[in-house]
Amino acid sequence: MGIQHTKTDSAALAIEVESLVDSPEPDGIYHDTRECAGALLALGLLLIAPPTPRPKKPSRS
Amino acid sequence: MAGNADALRSVIADAASGVALALRGGGGPDAVSGILHPDNPFAPAAVRVLGADVLAPYALGHPPPTAEAGDAQSVRMALAAYPPGADASEVSVWSYGGLAEAARRFLPADGALPPVPDADMAWTGTDPWQRLAHRVSQLAALAVPGLADGLAANLAPRVDDLSRGFVRAVRRRDWLQAAGVGRWLARLPDVPETLGLDTGLVFVGRLGAADPRVDLHVAAAQRFFGRGR
Repeated sequence: MGIQHTKTDSAALAIEVESLVDSPEPDGIYHDTRECAGALLALGLLLIAPPTPRPKKPSRS
Repeated sequence: MAGNADALRSVIADAASGVALALRGGGGPDAVSGILHPDNPFAPAAVRVLGADVLAPYALGHPPPTAEAGDAQSVRMALAAYPPGADASEVSVWSYGGLAEAARRFLPADGALPPVPDADMAWTGTDPWQRLAHRVSQLAALAVPGLADGLAANLAPRVDDLSRGFVRAVRRRDWLQAAGVGRWLARLPDVPETLGLDTGLVFVGRLGAADPRVDLHVAAAQRFFGRGR
């Protein structure tokens, strides 16, 4: 059982070594300038927008 | 198994930090065995992944280790435990060949070292520039003076393509690839001045400082080839 476990570990380690030696290229991270500008504009509009009208509290009498 | 993978990555990072430090003049050339005891179950695997870089400090002119030294033991164990299989990729064969060549050059000859395998080199002329840059970055450990001279000669006519790959890797924020390609460009002649390789390597070293392998490649470019200072 112990020997079997060690063999499995060695095989898994060998696979891990191969994957690290010849690792695939990671996906690139790109920022689309126009998308970023659009998102910034939307955020700015949200910030400067007047507050949503709320129903007035009934006056106490 | 995920625990093994994490432990291996951690050991690789420690060993890479040690080699980078040794290349910058900190400590002796036995950087890997100073950090990893050969009895560490992950030491041979880490040595196989780092490849020829584990012996790179000896290229600075240090005397070779004895056959019983930890570095020599770790490298021999890695070469015996992780030979490329029949279906191994070209990168794996080249990486193993680089470690075997470095062992023959920097370790005492005791007959226990395996031969350097024949590796295909056609890809250096046929790969599109994106694929070429990625593959060359995976073989950054071979960018050591006097190692893999044939590969360096074949890559020399493709300096422009590798320069494009360097810029692409930086724009993708793939610091490990950028550092590896930059290290090879530091070794090759006729790199375009307009690339700004020196400042590019400094930039990559700072932005990718979290990865000790990036730091190792930048340290090698600086120490062996005087670029990126």
